Amino acid sequence: MNSHTENDPCCGGQSRRSFLKRSTATAAILAAPPVLVRAAEKKLDEQGAEYFEKLPLKIEVNGKPFSLSVEPRVTLLDLLREQLHLTGTKKGCDYGQCGACTVHVDGQRVLSCLSLAGMQDGKKITTIEGLASGDDLHPLQEAFIRHDGFQCGYCTPGQIMSAVACIKEGHAGSDAEIREYMSGNICRCGAYPNIVDAIREVAQKGGVK
Amino acid sequence: MINFDYSKPATVGAAITALSKDTKAKFIAGGTNLVDLMKRGVTTPEKLIDITGLPLKGIEQSGTVVRIGALALNSEVAENDIVKKQLPLLSQALKAGASAQIRNMATVGGNMLQRTRCGYFYDTAMPCNKREPGTGCGALQGYNRMHAILGASDSCIAVHPSDMCVALAALDATVVVQGPGGTRKLPFLDFHRLPGNTPEKDNNLQRGELITGVEVPVNPSLAQHSLYTKIRDRASYAFALVSVAAALDMKGKTIRQARLAMGGVAHKPWRLTIAENFLQGKEATVANFQQAASLALKEAKGYGYNNFKLTLGPNTLVQTLKTLTGV
Amino acid sequence: MDNFFDLNIPFAEIDRVDGKAKVTGKADYVAEHDLPNLTYGVLVGSTIANGTVTAIDTKSAERAPGVLAVITHLNAPKVPGYEEGENPAKGRTGGGGLKIFNDNRIRFNGQPIALVVADTFERATYAASLIKAQYNKEAPHTSLADAIKNDKPIEGDNYKEAVRGEKDAWKTAPVKVEGTYIMPIQVHNPMELHATIARWDGDDKVTVWEKTQGVVSTQQSIANAFKLEQKNVQVYAPYVGGGFGSALRTWPHAIAAVMAAKKLGRPVKLVLTRPQMFMLVGYRPEAIQHISIGATPDGKIVGMRHDAYAVTSNYENFNEGLVAQTKQLYACANLATKYNIYPMNLSTPTWMRGPGEATGSFPLECALDELSYALNLDPIELRKRNYAETDPENGKPYSSKFLREAYDLGAEKFGWKGRKPQPRSMEEDGWLVGYGMSSGMFGAFRGEGRVRLKFSGDGMLTIQSAVSDSGPGTATAMTRIASDAMGLPVNKVNFELGNSAFPPGPTQGGSSTTSTLGTTVSMACDSLKKKLVELLKTQESEIALADVQFAQGEMRLKNGKSISYTDALKAANLPSIELTESSGRNPEMQKYSAYSYSVHFVRVKVHPLTGVVRIDKVVSAGDAGRIISEKTAASQMKGGAVGGIGGALMEEGVIDHRYGRWVNNNFADYHVPVHADVPDVEVVFVNKPDPVLNPNGSKGMGEIALIGFAAAVANAVYHATGKRIRELPITPDKVLL
Repeated sequence: MNSHTENDPCCGGQSRRSFLKRSTATAAILAAPPVLVRAAEKKLDEQGAEYFEKLPLKIEVNGKPFSLSVEPRVTLLDLLREQLHLTGTKKGCDYGQCGACTVHVDGQRVLSCLSLAGMQDGKKITTIEGLASGDDLHPLQEAFIRHDGFQCGYCTPGQIMSAVACIKEGHAGSDAEIREYMSGNICRCGAYPNIVDAIREVAQKGGVK
Repeated sequence: MINFDYSKPATVGAAITALSKDTKAKFIAGGTNLVDLMKRGVTTPEKLIDITGLPLKGIEQSGTVVRIGALALNSEVAENDIVKKQLPLLSQALKAGASAQIRNMATVGGNMLQRTRCGYFYDTAMPCNKREPGTGCGALQGYNRMHAILGASDSCIAVHPSDMCVALAALDATVVVQGPGGTRKLPFLDFHRLPGNTPEKDNNLQRGELITGVEVPVNPSLAQHSLYTKIRDRASYAFALVSVAAALDMKGKTIRQARLAMGGVAHKPWRLTIAENFLQGKEATVANFQQAASLALKEAKGYGYNNFKLTLGPNTLVQTLKTLTGV
Repeated sequence: MDNFFDLNIPFAEIDRVDGKAKVTGKADYVAEHDLPNLTYGVLVGSTIANGTVTAIDTKSAERAPGVLAVITHLNAPKVPGYEEGENPAKGRTGGGGLKIFNDNRIRFNGQPIALVVADTFERATYAASLIKAQYNKEAPHTSLADAIKNDKPIEGDNYKEAVRGEKDAWKTAPVKVEGTYIMPIQVHNPMELHATIARWDGDDKVTVWEKTQGVVSTQQSIANAFKLEQKNVQVYAPYVGGGFGSALRTWPHAIAAVMAAKKLGRPVKLVLTRPQMFMLVGYRPEAIQHISIGATPDGKIVGMRHDAYAVTSNYENFNEGLVAQTKQLYACANLATKYNIYPMNLSTPTWMRGPGEATGSFPLECALDELSYALNLDPIELRKRNYAETDPENGKPYSSKFLREAYDLGAEKFGWKGRKPQPRSMEEDGWLVGYGMSSGMFGAFRGEGRVRLKFSGDGMLTIQSAVSDSGPGTATAMTRIASDAMGLPVNKVNFELGNSAFPPGPTQGGSSTTSTLGTTVSMACDSLKKKLVELLKTQESEIALADVQFAQGEMRLKNGKSISYTDALKAANLPSIELTESSGRNPEMQKYSAYSYSVHFVRVKVHPLTGVVRIDKVVSAGDAGRIISEKTAASQMKGGAVGGIGGALMEEGVIDHRYGRWVNNNFADYHVPVHADVPDVEVVFVNKPDPVLNPNGSKGMGEIALIGFAAAVANAVYHATGKRIRELPITPDKVLL
């Protein structure tokens, strides 16, 4: 760690030494401090090594526990896609403007692109891959196929995850309500009418578990 | 995105201490705005203090006040029974904002701190006094269709994008903040600032202060006649061109009191006090509404692309009042 | 051309064959392929629109953690294909018109000036933010209105005035309408971000996963750019998350990914950001159009004039058919059209759904509507009075035209007769109500296709072709055709695509995939039938193909005997039958003109105080020949209507001309329709086969689903309010003021 200049650009103009000092100071005042995994302290070279602190992260994804360590800046979306290879959750905009990345965190629909992975410690994540039980599709997955609720299929996982929540929340009482509460999921192919058909049908059949 | 240090304090005190010690630190809760801004390089905090573990989520009524914790989620507040009954205007405004997913993440405190959606603010290659003081205002002579018609300055004509805040402004809410020096309360209308020569400052929070909640007075008469109207370029999931939060205390056809605020027109939610005063004691008639609306926007000024708001603003107010009173 | 089937039997409805993969998250789009040693590339765009890069500081980025390479024009490996073809009009060679990292010239704002490659996405993105360039700025030219005033359009054969009959006939007609119409830039914005993964397999072989509507064209583009044998470029595109035209060509970022992978000796994944999707993969060009129509008092069009002005880049001439429909839709002896394009500091536009026709139909169909009011004539009646019985451009008969039927079917379904003719005469709950309609047309084509077919002893029929499917449902339609042709259940047919190792298929564009490849599949099935019948000849003498019925997996002979296909294979001791088949254009078509047609009906509610427009009823009627796959066809028409709602009411690419820079290149500021904007959309097809174009009787559909839609909305808004809005999108401000 002594090999770095005081103006190392890789930590926002701060020298690494002060960076680490700062981190240590922070850790001292925390009531619930995360255990920082410091690759730097393991004397790894910064190039290609784990230069920044990583956060330990324990999450459950689709019922499966994961014990990970992530850079604080990694989003839940990129964690799922790039590290856990659960690519059913889609990146459509990365700025919270399209809904393609919708997943459930502790049963609530959220946007994984605006969720920092490190902040999900202890939480249960459900993605499109966790919706079906084995070969038995979720009723909404079946309804989407039956009503042709997609074309290219890219927004579909987000639409379905959102639709499951929409029904559970009790926001599928009318077509107008479905449309309003599904408006956070953009479909550029224009499958909206068919998606509403699919959601209405499942909601009317008594919804989902 | 810049990498950053991360901590998650368990007490309000620890959070405030952590922020006070570090000028490059920021609180993060829902992250729906902050993470977006960090991705665009608009803001580059070196440390995030995760406040989602703090006990600030409650929604409760005590006497004639509803207290809402800063960390209550937008969706929780919108669907809360107390809020739906006592503050329907707030519930409506929240539901008009963002999408179901974002409302499940965004908090009350975060919503108040939401930064403008001005395209020049978001693009680090463009001039923007709010993002980078001294670089000029790109919107002033640029594409300013979404921009302010009230209270703007030559430094900045951005608007505050929140719907929730428009309702809270109309409802005479109070903001509760805690800082290194203790707790203080600000009237909601004093929380956000006008741009003046310091558009980089959105609000009057002091360094190290944390919003812990808002208090909203209950008024059953106003709650009976409450309506939030939002005009936007598409039917949902879009920021307001103009919005109106209105609550009336009616006796028969007479307006005893009015609470009116407008969104999408200024750097802060714009309380329409002159229109309220005009309407007090008046009959609910279209002519009175029109007069109130023209008084309300008397000081308004367009900057080109947003000139239509000089018409849309008053019209939206009239429409809201018409719907509320059935005239 | 033989007709293989009885064209009057409709196809049965089936579910999308890739549905299960799509609803379970198993469908793998480009960016989802994991490879060993994968690296992440992030592009850095210029912050000026016009000028040169004078210096570029990459040091901080190079030193940032995890960074493996920073490529700029200063160190970019040579792309051999870039040495050829300087003619901007030529385009589409060497991986696209813009030669990425080839020089220091900046041609548009956001033009890539660097590619940062790192070991993680986060690190590459952060390092990209550290790149700082200095520029010699020149004034940006991005305003079409200014260009029309100050500059000369590009000259050439495409841009000459075209005259039919008497040029100025419209001027002396008893009834005239005229207007100038403005359509802003619209952007395809498929939900999947454009992405490329490139991996070199030795010095002269590369494998590319690419978001493309043309597997073979991408293979050719990359082979041309890097001077490789075409077979040494392996392209995969198994799932394509929408395109609408943006994936019709291989863009410079794909070349950059291939270049970087070679330089690094590791696979590179490059995914565009949503803002980059507005700048680097085409858009529908802004257009300003002036149209004039003259007619007789009884509604016969005497003459028309249509001048169109549109933008292109300053390194390629992008042309499309803005004035095509004006020449072709109505019987009109006298006509003049002129198409003009201006080179700007913008990236090159590209075909966007319903390409130029969608742009051109806006003024044409609004003017027709305006004329109907001037004549006090129902808009549908006016169109029928000018119905073209033969192609007005060349007098040829149509291979099929059922536009009249489409008008009637759509009007009936919509309830058009409930419309009160007077503008601003209908109201509901305090909202003004308006009915509007318009029509659209697009050429019906058939190109060249090739498939490989294998029928196995287990009864499975596999057909392969190097096409891709960006959403319409190509595999579903092909499965439908093969299943019907062979009398096999749908689950016994497997259509495979998205792989350049398969026989070359067409690019999915111009509404022609089903026509083209459906022909090939039909012919391949016919060849299979012949081979199956030949197998019988050892047992049965003298069987004519026509005497055999193929149904439920078996051949039924006239003598009452039947034998299953698999038994026939077994008896002949064959594990499978394999064959390849190709098909091309139909020479017969030289005698005909061929088009698909649509008629859109829209009911709007307009709020008189706030100017808000809501579309609450849509009926789209189509003449798209015989419908191959009902469910996916209806979906495609609905999708066109949704795209049409976007173009009519909200989509507008905004550039600040002072900087020549995008102001709203993201989904929060560039609005596309959301659920709440879209009512139920009803679709009705004439569903009559085209007897000439192809053996299945189908015509194209993707484009007509959108063409004309914006005019239907504008016409409905006029009917509701009495206000003719000639500038899209129709946002509340335009309705109010």
